[in-house]
Amino acid sequence: MSISGVSKTERTPQAEDAPEEAESFTGQGLPRVEDHRILAGEAKYVHDLTPDDCLHLALVRSMHAHANIVDIDTSEAEAHPDCELVLTADDIQADYNPMPTGITEVQTEQGTGTLTEWSLAAERVRFVGEPVVAVAASNRYAAEDVADLVNVTYEPLEPVTDGMTARTDDTVIHESAGTNVVDHEHLRFGDVDDAFAEADHVVEGEYFWGRISGVPLETAGVLADYDADTDSFDIDCNIQLHTLVDDTIYDTLGYGPNDVRVNVPPDVGGSFGTKIAIHRYCCLAAMASQQLERPVKFEEDRIENLQGGDMHCSERNYRMRLAVDEDGTMRGLDVWFVDDFGAYPRYPVNQVLKPLSVVTNSYDIQDVSYEYELVLTNKTSQTAYRGFGVDPHIYALEMVVDKAARQLGLDPTEFRRRNLISDDDMPYTLASKNIYDSGDYARTLDRIEEIIRDERDGGLLDPETVKEKRAEGKYRGVQPSVIIEPGVSGSDWTDRQRSDRTALSERTRAEVQELPEHLRARLELDGTITAYLATDSSGQGHQTLVSQLLADELGVLPSDIEVDYLNSADAPTEYGSAASRMAVMLSGATVGVADALKKRVETIAADHWGVRPEDVAYRNGRVEQIEADAHLSLVDIAVFESDENGTPPAVSYNYDHPATEFEEFDDAFIEKLPVYPTAAFGANAPIVEVDIKTGEVEILVFHTIRDCGTMLNPMIVEGQAHGGIAQGIGAALMEEFGYDDDGQPQAITLFDYLLPSIKNVPNIEMEHTETPSPFTVTGAKGVGEGGMIDAPASIATSINAALEPLDVEEPADRIPVSPAHLRSKLRSLTR
Amino acid sequence: MSTDNTASAAESSTSEISVVINGTEVKKKVEPRLKLSDFLRYHCDLSGVRVGCEHGVCGACTVHVDGMSVKSCLGYAVQADGATIETVEGLVDDRGALHPIQEAFHETHALQCGFCTSGFVMATKELLEENPSPTREEIQTGLEDNICRCTGYQNIYKAVEAAAEKMDGV
Repeated sequence: MSISGVSKTERTPQAEDAPEEAESFTGQGLPRVEDHRILAGEAKYVHDLTPDDCLHLALVRSMHAHANIVDIDTSEAEAHPDCELVLTADDIQADYNPMPTGITEVQTEQGTGTLTEWSLAAERVRFVGEPVVAVAASNRYAAEDVADLVNVTYEPLEPVTDGMTARTDDTVIHESAGTNVVDHEHLRFGDVDDAFAEADHVVEGEYFWGRISGVPLETAGVLADYDADTDSFDIDCNIQLHTLVDDTIYDTLGYGPNDVRVNVPPDVGGSFGTKIAIHRYCCLAAMASQQLERPVKFEEDRIENLQGGDMHCSERNYRMRLAVDEDGTMRGLDVWFVDDFGAYPRYPVNQVLKPLSVVTNSYDIQDVSYEYELVLTNKTSQTAYRGFGVDPHIYALEMVVDKAARQLGLDPTEFRRRNLISDDDMPYTLASKNIYDSGDYARTLDRIEEIIRDERDGGLLDPETVKEKRAEGKYRGVQPSVIIEPGVSGSDWTDRQRSDRTALSERTRAEVQELPEHLRARLELDGTITAYLATDSSGQGHQTLVSQLLADELGVLPSDIEVDYLNSADAPTEYGSAASRMAVMLSGATVGVADALKKRVETIAADHWGVRPEDVAYRNGRVEQIEADAHLSLVDIAVFESDENGTPPAVSYNYDHPATEFEEFDDAFIEKLPVYPTAAFGANAPIVEVDIKTGEVEILVFHTIRDCGTMLNPMIVEGQAHGGIAQGIGAALMEEFGYDDDGQPQAITLFDYLLPSIKNVPNIEMEHTETPSPFTVTGAKGVGEGGMIDAPASIATSINAALEPLDVEEPADRIPVSPAHLRSKLRSLTR
Repeated sequence: MSTDNTASAAESSTSEISVVINGTEVKKKVEPRLKLSDFLRYHCDLSGVRVGCEHGVCGACTVHVDGMSVKSCLGYAVQADGATIETVEGLVDDRGALHPIQEAFHETHALQCGFCTSGFVMATKELLEENPSPTREEIQTGLEDNICRCTGYQNIYKAVEAAAEKMDGV
């Protein structure tokens, strides 16, 4: 919904008060059930859990980027009256395991290398902020006093701080691995060599995407409680994907999955992917709790989070080559990049592969080369962040497309239009085997051009205004493109880096193992229904989504439905809320669990009446006999079943990943190439204004047209788009985790790592189209990452357009496009 | 490894403070180094006060001290001695009904993860107390010291405008 109200999806906030007027709750902007407890200050986030006998953990962290640990003197700390525990690597190596890494074996010419990461640094520190010692005390203040008394002696080593030079640096940060390039792959699709040999032109560009991250307002937190009687753990924490990545905790502790119950509170203060990798903290708190047999809590502070929280994301150097013909046909694409993963390759290593799911974006190119090198440096490790590596790829691709258009002397929009995938070719199979489900990209580009024409006709881009502004040194411009958001990731491909890639060539479809979405529902004695999610949430409104869908399916009110969460031991292993999966996976599971519950209550009613199940029918909260005037309410049925079997009826349902239903996806599945069966899409027109004196970029208005198939809750869809675009604006213009040559992080507070405030985010004028997905139960497509994926590319190309009259060579060739960067580009011009 | 310090912690110097929080008088002994945010969260059980950065940028910990919005992570509890403090919990009435500002945030979907929301609600309250019908620019100025990472602020404008309308004439 745009601020000025231009939208085809007017929401109805009064729906909550007048449900009887609504034909269906799904498709409405039903206000969220999560809100009241949050607004009243009653929500319990993990930081709010502090049992009376709880101890608090503080960490001693490395101040060096790369150093040998010569000595750790804990005697003074242990003598502090409040000190309850001091843990070092020696202590944990005696009792526990290393943490699983994203890459376990590294192939080099010398043989197979290995990578090991302990929860506390052993012998060597590899980034500033790496935890070396953990201490526990009665409160956080005391724990920090104790931590201050730990004396660590270091022998500094030469740090490796640049991803490009790390590839050939004499310093190898993990000697056991034998190299800083711990993963590399070159994939080829179609006939790339021919395409590049035959094309009239080859256009090449180099682009840099700086380190950014999600930086949710809530930092990581954990409350671990070891129970000696059962020799098991309860771990409350705000980890994301707690049923998928719980192995990073129980493997490290040396326990089985059922002995470590990871529980995520219903309210998590944002994650955006980043909290997938907070297992270090969970493990340390659990170890301390086991040693002390008391609950132990750890609350990460903001400085810890920014400098050593294992939560930075992609830092990439790209070299893009585009083969084009004189008539403007894109013939081939060659992608090469280096991703600087920091000190340890953790779970999200597969984000170097996700761009394959949209490798040519909205363009019809079948000859593609894709090559990456994943390197390690002395920086904090990477985690996932909204977009999961697609955002830098789309940015670099749109930059080289811009460059090619200008070299060919074509209008950049016209060049894009000529190469768009046609509506007639849907579903469209990409060179990289993933499939776009539906969409009319040309129509979206037409509409965004109409909007831009309006701006040129008396609006922000009116020629008179543009001229006047240029006289003041302010250059305006815009350059749209159609950008795809891959949705609903499969899970099977995500361990490609840990798979033997030569064995992949012999894989069969039968070996593909996808994780379904699991959902349970229980009828309560008062006739209400409780649903249990196997995924965690961090602000997306899953409780609202499930209650509105379930209300429709069962013909009851959303207020008759409670939605709760399962811990990792009770829930099966499943993927969870990542990769824009939930609208599709959770809606599919909800429809399935509702059917299962209806069948179950029909059976109970039929048994009660002594009739056949086909003689009864579920309708709007009761079961009726088809040929007789008799019915039973949900309360009646719950009571019968409870009297009979001791518990009211409960059902569960596993919704299979939708792509498994379609043979078209088999090639991608078998080869472990990214499978994303929904392709949401959109086009942005941010009107930017560059002040050439200061290098500052202001976005005057952000126009956007978006399509995510059927909208289950337009209010939530729009909220996701607003938030994604705001994060995209931060990425494009403001945010960066820089490092100096010594490996010292330059952004360790929110004074240095700049998050967009209300002053930095312009009006977002949003329109929607709805092209249902043919692959999903509800027609919904995955949504949630879109703005973060498409906004940086659109802002960068719009800056290129704004400065075109000055003939600056690719002004936005680095993200973020900071004032300093633009000024250096402009200075070189005046020399 | 585990330490056994039989000697108890030296009694740190504490001083008694007296504050009125959400209409109730509270007297407690506190260490001088105790942050006001931690005092409210851990000593007064007001966990609706959220802590996002502890260095005064994000605004999640915003409360009112003597009617003015304050980032409670930047002050110490001892500095609040004698003050009247209002937190987001104090906006809910005795029957559990939300304040019009809280209602407006709900109706306009101006929160997602909700971690910044307490701070935004308190900052909005100060803004509307000073300026009952702010323009968009005035909303920007009033709320620029609070960070929201989820909503892109679009619906926060709407929430403030809706709240202004609800409170008009109240």
